[in-house]
Amino acid sequence: MTALAFPYPIPEYGTEPYWQACNEERLVMQRCAACDRFRWTPAPLCTFCAHDGYDWAPLSGEGRVHTWTVITHAVHPAAVARVPYVVVEVELAAQANLRMISNLIDCDPQAIRFDAAVALAFTQHPDGQKLPVFRLA
Amino acid sequence: MDSISDRACIVGIGHTEYSRDSGRSELKLACEAIGAAIADAGLTPADIDGITKYTMDNNDPIDIARNLGMPELRFFAELNYGGGGGPVGTIQLAAMAVATGQAKAVVAFRAMNERSGRGTPRFGQAATAPGAAGAASYLSPYGLFSPAQMVALAARRHMHLYGTESRHFGEIAVTCRHHANMNPDAMMHGRPMSLADHEASRMIADPLRLLDCCLETDGGAAVVVTRADVARDLRHPRVFISGAGLGAGHWNHRFMVRDIDAPDSESTVIARHVFRDAGITHADIDVLFIYDHFTPLVLMAIEDFGFCKRGEGKDFVSNGRLRWPDGELPMNTSGGNLSEGYMHGMQNVIEAVRQLRGEARCQVKDARHAFVSAGNGVPTSAMILRNEK
Repeated sequence: MTALAFPYPIPEYGTEPYWQACNEERLVMQRCAACDRFRWTPAPLCTFCAHDGYDWAPLSGEGRVHTWTVITHAVHPAAVARVPYVVVEVELAAQANLRMISNLIDCDPQAIRFDAAVALAFTQHPDGQKLPVFRLA
Repeated sequence: MDSISDRACIVGIGHTEYSRDSGRSELKLACEAIGAAIADAGLTPADIDGITKYTMDNNDPIDIARNLGMPELRFFAELNYGGGGGPVGTIQLAAMAVATGQAKAVVAFRAMNERSGRGTPRFGQAATAPGAAGAASYLSPYGLFSPAQMVALAARRHMHLYGTESRHFGEIAVTCRHHANMNPDAMMHGRPMSLADHEASRMIADPLRLLDCCLETDGGAAVVVTRADVARDLRHPRVFISGAGLGAGHWNHRFMVRDIDAPDSESTVIARHVFRDAGITHADIDVLFIYDHFTPLVLMAIEDFGFCKRGEGKDFVSNGRLRWPDGELPMNTSGGNLSEGYMHGMQNVIEAVRQLRGEARCQVKDARHAFVSAGNGVPTSAMILRNEK
């Protein structure tokens, strides 16, 4: 019997390297071989130039708060024990407009500000998969 | 001829009661609503040869045809993206079918037990599968599940960029409730709401409050579409589909997580075409139907469909502008998704037709043009309807 948990991510063809790197506590994204730009979420072709080639490149995870919500109403059984929790959209320093959804952990929701600096951390889902999350820097 | 402008009409409207528990199957609701719309048009089920549906509607067109007695279907199609493609896009499909001779009379409908959960899972609750695949695999592990939670991210960003406040979202909720209180068929009839009530309602996903969110509803709603010349001989004054369009772009991804910093949206894509096709401007619109899933998205839709500039929505929705009878542009005059019933936008289409027939409870005097949108935040659809005045 496992504890109530949010769903774990199910990797697909082409996205396993993202989740594998997370398990090694590294944030990687696809960097286009043609235009050199990162994309999130993982996608088969470059979402800027449609080029087919890429490598998985590491990111420091430095970023800033683009927007956030403090979730107070539980819509999932595992949320009952978690509310309030913060879902954040982080704009990563690596590239303008490169944003990802995550959690802001260990923070007072009242202390969050737009453009506040955040730093990468990792949490572990009960099924074992590690997830990239953020803390206020 | 490069558009369907004025080549098709909505000739029949019908719906069931809107409730928290219908007590009957989704197929029964669909048949009741569609049967009512066909009767309203003065047609019989045997006259209907096409059905368009929301992709996510559980009802199968051939079940409907078998139960209602439609002997032959020549056209059936569906449109995706829930309340984005559904309430207007299905009607656009119907209009294209009749305008091009692919069918004579087409029904577009939505029927669901979304509140009781008897058939359709409640949209405000998360699926409880242990794992998430595809786009959800990047959201659900963080506890981001419901449309309300996703919209909250964009709402906060809009507040930051433009100085929009919760009370501006409240204006939209209060407007729809005001109209619902003049509509005895509305789920929230008899339950008035003030701005103070809105501001006192509990947070769901800060900054979204409970009263920023639409209802959840069991029910069915349907319309019948024919070619304009066929419509001339039917029961009601003709309501023309003067322009209709779909819109999407690169900002539509990750469900309803919006990039509201992008200069365009699904709504701006449509606005560029639909007014041109109808040959009118925003100033010609007499009554407004903006899909009201969540109040912040209503405000953003008003801006991006071009009724005001970005950032001006907060002033546009204030001072009673959207409220019948005194506001200059009454919106969602039967209560909308927020307060009449959540028929995934189809209830707004039905009310738009009533307005243009001159039979609405909150009748806008001399209404000639109605703008009707589907849900933004996802790929969406919108149309302009007009009568013969």
